[in-house]
Amino acid sequence: MSAQDTKSLWADAFSRLVRDRWALISLVIVIIYAGIAVLATVGWGLPDWKTSQASEYLPPSSQFWLGTDLFGRDVFAKVIHGTKIAMSVGLVTSLIAIPIGVFIGAIAGYFGGWIDDIISWFITTFSSIPNIMLLISITLIMGKGLVSVYLALGITGWVGLARLIRGEVMKHKEREYVHAASAIGGGHFRKLFIHILPNVTHLVIINTSLQFQTAIKSEVILSYLGLGVQGEPSWGTMIDDARQELARGVWWQLAGATFAMFLVVLAFNLLGDALRDSLDPKLKGK
Amino acid sequence: MDRPLLSIKDLTVDFITPDASMRAVDNMSFDVPMGKTVGIVGESGSGKSVTSLAIMRLLPQPPAHISGQILFDGTDLLKLPDDQMRKIRGDKIAMIFQEPMTSLNPVFKTGAQVAETLMLHRGMDKKTAWEKAIDLFNEVGIPNPSQKVHAYPHEMSGGQKQRVMIAMAIACDPKLLICDEPTTALDVTIQKQVLELLKGLQEKHKMSMLFITHDLGVIADVADDVVVMYRSKMVEKDKTRAIFESSKHPYTKGLIACRPDMGANPKRLLTVSDFMDEAGNGLKVTRDRVQVFEKDYEAKNGNDILLEVKDIHTHFPIKGGLFGRKVGEVKAVDGVSFQLKRGKTLGLVGESGCGKTTLGRTILRLVEPTSGSIIYDGKDVTKMGQEEMRLLRRKMQIIFQDPYSSLNPRMTVGEILTEPLVVHGLGGGKKERLDAAKALMEKVGMKANQLNRYPHEFSGGQRQRICIARALMLRPEFVICDESVSALDVSIQAQVLNLLLDLQQEFKLTYIFISHDLGVVNFISDEVGVMNKGVLVEMDRADRIYKQPREEYTKQLLGAIPKGLPKNIEAFIS
Amino acid sequence: MTTYIIRRLLYMIPVIFGVSFIIFVLFNVVAGDPAPLLLGKHATAQQIHDLREQLGLNKPLFAQYMDVVKSAFTFDFGRSWATRQDIIEMIRQGAWPSLTLTIPAFAISTVLSILLSLVVAFYRGKGIDLTIRFLCIAGQSISSVAYILFFQYFFAYKLGWFEISGYEPEFPMFLSYVALPGIIWIVLSLGPDVRFFRTVILDEIYQDYVRTARAKGLGEITVLLKHVLRNAMIPIITYVVIQIPFLILGALLLESFFSIPGLGGITLNALNSSDFPVIKAMAVLSSIAYILFSLLTDVLYTLADPRVKLK
Repeated sequence: MSAQDTKSLWADAFSRLVRDRWALISLVIVIIYAGIAVLATVGWGLPDWKTSQASEYLPPSSQFWLGTDLFGRDVFAKVIHGTKIAMSVGLVTSLIAIPIGVFIGAIAGYFGGWIDDIISWFITTFSSIPNIMLLISITLIMGKGLVSVYLALGITGWVGLARLIRGEVMKHKEREYVHAASAIGGGHFRKLFIHILPNVTHLVIINTSLQFQTAIKSEVILSYLGLGVQGEPSWGTMIDDARQELARGVWWQLAGATFAMFLVVLAFNLLGDALRDSLDPKLKGK
Repeated sequence: MDRPLLSIKDLTVDFITPDASMRAVDNMSFDVPMGKTVGIVGESGSGKSVTSLAIMRLLPQPPAHISGQILFDGTDLLKLPDDQMRKIRGDKIAMIFQEPMTSLNPVFKTGAQVAETLMLHRGMDKKTAWEKAIDLFNEVGIPNPSQKVHAYPHEMSGGQKQRVMIAMAIACDPKLLICDEPTTALDVTIQKQVLELLKGLQEKHKMSMLFITHDLGVIADVADDVVVMYRSKMVEKDKTRAIFESSKHPYTKGLIACRPDMGANPKRLLTVSDFMDEAGNGLKVTRDRVQVFEKDYEAKNGNDILLEVKDIHTHFPIKGGLFGRKVGEVKAVDGVSFQLKRGKTLGLVGESGCGKTTLGRTILRLVEPTSGSIIYDGKDVTKMGQEEMRLLRRKMQIIFQDPYSSLNPRMTVGEILTEPLVVHGLGGGKKERLDAAKALMEKVGMKANQLNRYPHEFSGGQRQRICIARALMLRPEFVICDESVSALDVSIQAQVLNLLLDLQQEFKLTYIFISHDLGVVNFISDEVGVMNKGVLVEMDRADRIYKQPREEYTKQLLGAIPKGLPKNIEAFIS
Repeated sequence: MTTYIIRRLLYMIPVIFGVSFIIFVLFNVVAGDPAPLLLGKHATAQQIHDLREQLGLNKPLFAQYMDVVKSAFTFDFGRSWATRQDIIEMIRQGAWPSLTLTIPAFAISTVLSILLSLVVAFYRGKGIDLTIRFLCIAGQSISSVAYILFFQYFFAYKLGWFEISGYEPEFPMFLSYVALPGIIWIVLSLGPDVRFFRTVILDEIYQDYVRTARAKGLGEITVLLKHVLRNAMIPIITYVVIQIPFLILGALLLESFFSIPGLGGITLNALNSSDFPVIKAMAVLSSIAYILFSLLTDVLYTLADPRVKLK
């Protein structure tokens, strides 16, 4: 083996991941969805969902692949556009929940003692209120709309990760490589941020894929409860609309939104499993 | 007696997965005669455990592919249907494993686990089986058997758990008992008891035994015949005495020679590579390489005391009660004092839990002492502030036991080695630091161009060399080696010990060498301290400790070492 | 053990203070003034003042916080703003319909999941395992709302096998109302449950003691059902018991969709009418239940795992 062949654990994990066919397909699906979301945000090249193009509730046809809605708008275009909300909810809530979870969990696990006592109390308090109550209460109070959805899902999403990171940091703190860092004179900052955290990052990555799918699914529930996004198509509002439509035999909004969501959540799910297998060496071979 | 009980013919085991295939056992053939013990000896990964699991048919298939014949009492086990094989397992062939801690089911009472075997193979009802279990507990020497059958595994010591495993194995009077490293996880005094028990039971029940171990000392004590395995092949098989006295294969010679002896050792240990090159060809060993070395106990600069430990105590609190107050304490180190001269090596030896590791970590203040003082080069380490302590860390370093967990898996070797310089702002710029790391890599027998590799790309022995290099990056004068060779195979262990000695000379190092292995400690140390229950029981010059121990505990410890057969140094010279 | 339980019960006090604080911050600080909302557009300043006085909203914030804490300890949550009913009485009435839906569904889904996970663990790596695992993941990837809509439309509306919605509290009658939501509950739970139980069982299957059990000559099924399952029950119990407090809260979406007058339905109605006291009461009660059940989990742990001694 020449010096060029060297591989970090990350590179190793990545090559294992792409060798897994399902994981690769999932990764491609996620990337496509992300691409569509970006296009929808900048407003490029996607079909128009806003204007009424035909009469109401046309069934799927070669012109309208998924038919039209109550206002004669193209359902397929709405499904495509809904990707933006779904992916942005996943992204923004991850950006809120994950730094909080990692920071709080790492501090509690590393320092222990009274700091851990206080943080553990905080985590117990937070997790003892059922998630859905908290979600609903926050969106109700903050008012309807996208910002509330972001905040509610972000604020409720960090607890599980914090608990996980706390436990993992506690374990790593006692590993010999951390003792070795003390022995060469490394301080708390070096031990926690340079040594321990890179060794728990794989959990963060796995958790992000989990956070994305939880967020996407929760957006639907919030929209169904009338607390969701206003003025823009989202899969949640489309599924909510289907409540009135199904009895009239109009199934295409439900089917389109559900399938679009199914595909990306499934991809995140499979990706999450594959990430766990490839990043967590102890699970190898199972 | 004509037909051997177990006859293995051309046994080959491959592990085939979609990604890779690996031959774990390559064309093995050997017999286990009726009533005799055959030992399989080899280093980790040599295929010895796979062989034993193949006999029991406990290897998951796939990924394992087994070919050849395993004739047990004339029947080929490999051809038996599953349900027939199950009737043999635990009844005619029983097995004991290495890890008594994890080999028993934690949620069932130990008695129930023994009774289960009896109910399964002997069709006993529950009551009879439990009564028999009590008898068996008695037979394997567990005190209070009628109460201990109701104990759960976690309520027993490691030695007792291994006795339960033995009771379970002999419950149905097996004809063949397979022991896979049965004493490796045990302390040396417990090991002795378990080995004696196994020998006694073998005679009483007229069993055959297949005994697998990496430890030549143990094998010499128990086995009639020995099979030596190396890289999945059998390289030699013979009577035990013949193996020790006139082994033919260079690997076997190397294996026997590289183990540090209680008595005489050459200045540098022989290693397998002295006997055999990479391709497996035998090499000549010259007479001067085996010359017995007398230690120079009175060195010239022998009176400069580098480290003085005075009545050091390290206690850990036990929390409990309503508000988690301290309700008691574990006295890990309970009043230890000693002096260590510059340039010398102090060996600390003791069984697990004796406090030797805590003592080492306390001296470096990786663990805070409860009381006492540690005078290093005239200054009390326990009274130092953070900054002073940080500066002192340049002088005192540590090498840990487990080469797998002591290197950060996410850093390259270059980052690991230069980190001490970065922390202390030493060694100039990035390039100069890397040059220093390269130089040291070569000093510890590695290649300079391996700096951009990651720890997982190296073997255990190589990793331990990297750990040594890291410890030396700051040019320390004092290094604690905490079980630093315990996790390594004997042949690698010899190389690392030689390296430590070379480095000691070159860098004028003072060592504290912590180990449970008396042979290793004797080889490397000038002075030896014996620890037990947090206390230094006895401390003396290495040769005196071994020849004239004064304390009862030291004698007990020395008496428990498997004596093996004396190595016939002369026989190693070709 | 007793000391441990007492300590954990005492630990409830700071947690209840914490929960009350979160609820107080949300509803008394962040949320706007509810008085104009309750009285409508034409309310006079005097009316608003009187109502605020009556609701205790003119008190200093700390006193308002203490009101929330007090209600958590006395279970006196006052009356609903929307219906003027006593909240504890509402909860008492809502509990029965909720439990008739959630308990049977929960019990069936748990047993079914354990059985299925044993099957997949037995055939690990084989076709059955891969298929069931994929179905679990796929099933989990569909929105719960979509399940509810589709099942109701198809099985109740189209095929007419079940009541479309509604509830009757008497014994055999309620079955026809809770059956369909119960089935949806089971379908929704199977995916995550089977996946979790499978991981737990496989974690155990590779342990050394399982090798010992095989070396004794035990068959693979005995090994799985006796040795492995007994150890796997330890994490399974935790996972299952900790869900029970959320059963009490009811199945929020299912109840509202199928018009079952349970606690979930009450909570959602309260949300729609900004009925803060009811939401506060539900949040406080469910967190108390959560703490009690996590204590119960620990106690059950000692029964399942002889190594654990609570101190």
